[in-house]
Amino acid sequence: MEPILKTENLWKVYRTGKVDVPALRGVNVEILPGEFVSIMGPSGCGKSTMLHVIGGLAQATRGRVLLDGNDLTTMSDSARTLLRRHKVGFVFQRFNLLPTLDAHHNITLAQHIYGDGFDPHRFELVTNMLGLSERLHHKPSELSGGEQQRVALARAIITEPKIVLADEPTGNLDTKSSESVLGMLRQLNKDLGQTIVMITHNPDAAAYGHRILHMRDGMVVDGTSVH
Amino acid sequence: MIRHMIVQNVLHRPLRTLITVIAVAVEVTLVIIVVGLTSGLLSESAKRIEGVGADIMVQPPSASVFMAFSGAPMPISIAGKLQELDFVQAVAPVLLQFNSVNGLDIVYGIDQESFRQVTGGFVFHSGHDLQDRNDILVDDVYSASKKTKVGQTLHILEHDFHVAGIVEHGKGARLFVMMPTLQEMAGAHDKASVFFIKCDRTDHTPAVMDQIRQLLPRYEIRPLKDFISLMTSSNLPGLGAFINTMIAIAVAIGFLVIFLSMYTTIIERTREIGVLKSLGASKIYIVRIILSETTLLCLAGVVSGVGLSFLTRTIFIKIFPTLTILISPQWILRAGLIAIVGGLLGASYPAWMASRKDPVEALAYE
Repeated sequence: MEPILKTENLWKVYRTGKVDVPALRGVNVEILPGEFVSIMGPSGCGKSTMLHVIGGLAQATRGRVLLDGNDLTTMSDSARTLLRRHKVGFVFQRFNLLPTLDAHHNITLAQHIYGDGFDPHRFELVTNMLGLSERLHHKPSELSGGEQQRVALARAIITEPKIVLADEPTGNLDTKSSESVLGMLRQLNKDLGQTIVMITHNPDAAAYGHRILHMRDGMVVDGTSVH
Repeated sequence: MIRHMIVQNVLHRPLRTLITVIAVAVEVTLVIIVVGLTSGLLSESAKRIEGVGADIMVQPPSASVFMAFSGAPMPISIAGKLQELDFVQAVAPVLLQFNSVNGLDIVYGIDQESFRQVTGGFVFHSGHDLQDRNDILVDDVYSASKKTKVGQTLHILEHDFHVAGIVEHGKGARLFVMMPTLQEMAGAHDKASVFFIKCDRTDHTPAVMDQIRQLLPRYEIRPLKDFISLMTSSNLPGLGAFINTMIAIAVAIGFLVIFLSMYTTIIERTREIGVLKSLGASKIYIVRIILSETTLLCLAGVVSGVGLSFLTRTIFIKIFPTLTILISPQWILRAGLIAIVGGLLGASYPAWMASRKDPVEALAYE
């Protein structure tokens, strides 16, 4: 089976003044369709940078990133934007919902940007699955942390992306909400075959995935299967 | 979706929205009132000149259509020559002086008999005709605005006049004195600024004008029925430039306020822009949102500005009853377009800035 995501000798170097700071140092990773992979590591190891580069938010300095057969490293900014629109869903630690829109519009915003307009069937499937049907007309300020993250999750998957990239999705949640969100990620992976890459520093959260990759100092140093 | 998002964004910061809308409204009001004031003044003056009832107006060579600017260089004896022409019923010489004390007014020095023959005479609201050399007649609009009554003393042109009568408006000026009095005050003995000519029949006007051109080849001969069309800003030196300057100031106000408003909006919503980019929103999408918000703000400002213009006009006329402010649909439309275009220009840099934000940096923005 062809991997949905593959990185080859991936480097990302930030220039700070006159100093070059390598955030990623030759990362080689393969993720198969339908996998749920957790990436763990201490702060500053390059986890978030990894997510940004494989999601097309940042450009790699060296190496290759192949996402669903598309080489991100040769793409222009607008081409990466297009790819991101159609193939990637993001979930962030701080939810990053638009405060002026209610849950319904936060979710359908992704569909609107995608360009196919509102798909009521997909919308109902996703919101029912994530238990959001009764909360759709509330703005983020009226939702709990767990509810906000579920809205963010709904927004990430509403357009059926090839891969969902979750950056510390439980970082701002209490234990109960964390378990709820992680359970939903697992359910999405199991029931819809959604490929998920999740960054976390929490071993319990990481265990929800099929596989855990350990990063240190910009490199993947270890990979273990959970199941 | 975008419409909903834009409305919600605009409502999210009500105070900033209100200030922006007010600024655009002020911009629109400034344009409409300045243009309305100038065209109102010109139009009202023209109507009063036409209200004299004459058919032809004779002025010195190269005289301005704005008679107060032309001085008094014509010998009064020309009146006699004009009277002898075929089809001429009456000739009224008038001396004009511009008064800037206690207001801005034009004073007519008239020969009562000839003026009555041309105009049909004054309609008196109170008082009587000029009898003494220091008598003055004021029209009812002037009287209402200055609270002037018969018998009062009026200080005009550095001279104390006695208000002899209050007359119906529309006979050229608002203030009338005896011609010899004004000639003496102006040092213009036996001089006139303009001759008003009444023809025996209106259709003889062209024939009379031809005769006058032969008699006075270099003089300005104008038919009064076309007078209103001549009273435009393009005929008044500097007025066009003044109007354009005021419009430029108004545009600058709108441009700067919108620029500042949208600039602070972009800074404040940096993380939101990062979110939109993470969702795959293109640069054009983001620019479209910013410019659409701007258009909505400008439209609200334009509508408010039009309302404010009418309110301003009402207030001005209450305070200055002699003022005429013409608000035309064409200038409402122009002022609106000026506001919207100025606003979009002001928002274009912030919109461009927003579209170019790095998504990673934007998402990390606190």
